Amino acid sequence: MSTTNGSSAPAIAIRNITKRFGGFTAVDNVDIAVPQGAFLVLVGPSGCGKSTLLRMLAGLETPSEGEMAFMGRTVSDGTRGLVADAGARDAGLVFQSYALWPHMTVAGNIEWPLKVAKWSKADRAARVDEVLGLLGISALKERYPAEISGGQQQRVAIARTIGPKPSILLLDEPLSNLDAKLRIEMRSELMRIHRATGATSVYVTHDQVEAMTMASHVAVLNNGRVEQFGAPLELLENPRTTFVATFLGTPPANLIEVRKSGDGLVYEGLRLADASRAEAREDAQLLYRAHDLMVGEVPGRPAITARFEEAAPIAGRTMVTAFSGGRRLTAMADGYFRAAIGDPIRLSFLNEPSAVFAMTGERIN
Amino acid sequence: MSAVTTSVLSRRGFLRSETLVPIVLILIVSVLVIAPLVKIVLSTLTVEGRDAWQAVLASKMSENLWWRPLWNTILLGVGVAAGCILMGGFLAWLVMLTDVPAPKTLGLLATMPFMIPSFAAALAWGALFRNSRLGGSVGFFEANSYVVPDWLAWGLFPTLIVLIAHYYSLAFTVISAALSSIGADLVEAAQVAGAKRSRIFFGIILPVVTPALVAAASLTFAGAVSNFAAPALLGLPVRMQTLSTRLFGMIETGQTERGFVIALLLIVVSASFLWLGERLVAGRKNYVTVTGKGGRTKRFPLGKWRWPLFGVAVVLCLLTTFLPALILTASSFALQNGSLFSNWTTHFWIGEGGTDMAQGQAGIFRNPVLIEALWTTLKLAVTVALTTMALGLALAHTISRNKGTLLATLLGQVSFTPILIPSIAFAAAYIALFGAPIGPLPSLYGTFLLLVLAASAHLLPYAVQSGRSVLGQISADIEESARLTGAGFFRRMGAIIMPLAIRGLLAGALLVFVKIVRDLSLVVLLFTSTSPVLSMLAYRYAAEGFMQFANAITMVILVLCVVATLLAHRLQNRVQKWKSA
Repeated sequence: MSTTNGSSAPAIAIRNITKRFGGFTAVDNVDIAVPQGAFLVLVGPSGCGKSTLLRMLAGLETPSEGEMAFMGRTVSDGTRGLVADAGARDAGLVFQSYALWPHMTVAGNIEWPLKVAKWSKADRAARVDEVLGLLGISALKERYPAEISGGQQQRVAIARTIGPKPSILLLDEPLSNLDAKLRIEMRSELMRIHRATGATSVYVTHDQVEAMTMASHVAVLNNGRVEQFGAPLELLENPRTTFVATFLGTPPANLIEVRKSGDGLVYEGLRLADASRAEAREDAQLLYRAHDLMVGEVPGRPAITARFEEAAPIAGRTMVTAFSGGRRLTAMADGYFRAAIGDPIRLSFLNEPSAVFAMTGERIN
Repeated sequence: MSAVTTSVLSRRGFLRSETLVPIVLILIVSVLVIAPLVKIVLSTLTVEGRDAWQAVLASKMSENLWWRPLWNTILLGVGVAAGCILMGGFLAWLVMLTDVPAPKTLGLLATMPFMIPSFAAALAWGALFRNSRLGGSVGFFEANSYVVPDWLAWGLFPTLIVLIAHYYSLAFTVISAALSSIGADLVEAAQVAGAKRSRIFFGIILPVVTPALVAAASLTFAGAVSNFAAPALLGLPVRMQTLSTRLFGMIETGQTERGFVIALLLIVVSASFLWLGERLVAGRKNYVTVTGKGGRTKRFPLGKWRWPLFGVAVVLCLLTTFLPALILTASSFALQNGSLFSNWTTHFWIGEGGTDMAQGQAGIFRNPVLIEALWTTLKLAVTVALTTMALGLALAHTISRNKGTLLATLLGQVSFTPILIPSIAFAAAYIALFGAPIGPLPSLYGTFLLLVLAASAHLLPYAVQSGRSVLGQISADIEESARLTGAGFFRRMGAIIMPLAIRGLLAGALLVFVKIVRDLSLVVLLFTSTSPVLSMLAYRYAAEGFMQFANAITMVILVLCVVATLLAHRLQNRVQKWKSA
């Protein structure tokens, strides 16, 4: 295992990391690497191991197996029990709870890590003013954390973390405590700060929208494993599993269970695709994006009847949810669409399925 | 493998500090708590011990040694628990759930009686109701030619009243904490469902606070059965014995083994009721958060009853706080016990000795024994406050860090054991262990060190509890975020943890201080003339009939306690500038 130096080494390399708590495996053999300046988003449902992975990156947990390296420098090695101390990693962590020190002012919170890092007084003062300006909170300098709003606390937490200029910035669901409007605002704010600092960021969230909008690299985690790792659009267009296909994308994509019948794949007696796409399997799941499922009849395209559930207007069109065979389907309608709950509506499949999966979840083609 | 700049945490060193501290703590709590209990049990298994068991439980004397004191003890315990639930519960309901005027002031008043020693109320009762049955000076009422019947002057009834007046504020604290956890949402949900007020009270509020009521009942029961001062001052002169006065009498008269047997029996009585209370509420996962500040609470309008009920509450509070203090103060200035408000003299405070007053004794502030006792008391209280808080913090930290391990469970259980043990029985156990030399170590009986050890052990559960609540206010995130900056352990402690914890620690230490200063039942057995403390001196004067001296000293204790408690209250509640109001 040789360590390369210089720009060719990935900024963050996670090699076969496993973390067990007693008999429970929280993180299972994760292996990903991103280059310098990347914005890596770890996304998945709660309990998928994303926060544990982040805490291992921060040095707050020791991996049970595997190795982690920042800029080619090994910081964790599970098998040898070798750990760079949390403070010696050149990494900063923004906590979900912000974890501001309640007895220090905003300026005090930002300055203290610099004091620990033995910056000179003049440098500290200049840097505090600089990051306060960067986050737009200069006016709050002398306030205490309890005297400012949640959104402002969030900014202070970020300012405190980027103060010592870490080359790795770790963020643990930083937007989950903000209201919807602030969240969107802080999303672009975080992107701006990421670009301004040039740091490599790792961002943990359960919100796939954040993953899609912010990431240069996305790792979708489920049950401690990486389901898929790649660029956001790559994951969206070529999901390797049904979990990724249904977890990412707005509105959510549809999975239709079909059986082979003759040379076609059939759903409720309706032929949807050629049997060859399932590669000789008896049954399969077809992926249709919401925009490939249209409310109403379309000449020449197969259609099914479903029971109307709800409608939400989005950008001049309407996202319609309906039930068919106990399965929730999402389709689009042009303009505004209304119906009473339980009304039968027709849904047409506009295109061939975007992807075909085996019943066990993995991609066939 | 070229992890050049990686700092290597030595696993061995890590492990050592991780396991060494708990082991040292286990040793300390074993010596403090387990060893005396084991020793007192062993002491009653010797030949003399077995005779003592027989004498106490199965002989002609057992009626006097065990059954009658047991009956009195249980009667007192049940009576006090019932009285405290009624009185504390009524006040808690008034303060927390109704629109009674000035609820905050009422709440503070209702917690006051617990700050002052229980013998203050007992002495005040004597100053008012003492009758001529025993000879000597009579109290205020007989001196003003009212006849006070014996049942009102001595024995069970006055003891019961005095103990209720002391312990109801404990019940108030527990019940009001539970009531404050009833959010307005809970009540409003019932209102929306169409429930009437009485329905809400019996269907929602009462079931929610039932665990607190049971807890309050068993705590006040345990307090009453282990109390020494009140039955000793009001019951002993007419030979009403409880288990604690019996225990004291046995050890005083050198019948040590019998004393130990009674101590063990007293532990069983008190612990079994606490255990019973615990069992009754076990299963309901309903914990009272004593410091919890529930959200919005719903206040019921009292209508025309608002002011009358307020009046009742104020009178109850004044009768149990200001009246005893007033009587004690007046009595300490009164030339004659009975004439409280005439012929005042400052002799009992600052008079010179050698006159024909008070059999030639000087006033308390000219009495070297008292001055020494004052210093010993302060020294003891400060020492114990510091040692228990340090120990409590270390224990709480170790228990929370090793959560789930056998070690932590063991530490937790051992450090909470003293809760089950009445303090006078605990003192007996300390005599059993340290009363004689252990190997090369000399006997500690009568030393200051023994007082410190026994008091620290007795207050251990309290100290661990306050250590826990102090640490609970500091989230793990806050410490971890400091760790990420690279700050070392001591830097984190100094800059982050201590500034956040210091107020809580000081407040906890002050309350320990109060508990020591006002304590009588623990020191009454461990006291010798070489280590006099104030409460013991007051008790001795009272027993010898020098009521004015006793009352003057009690006032000194009372003032110390109230000042320290108010200070602790301020430390806990003062708005810190970094906390929003």
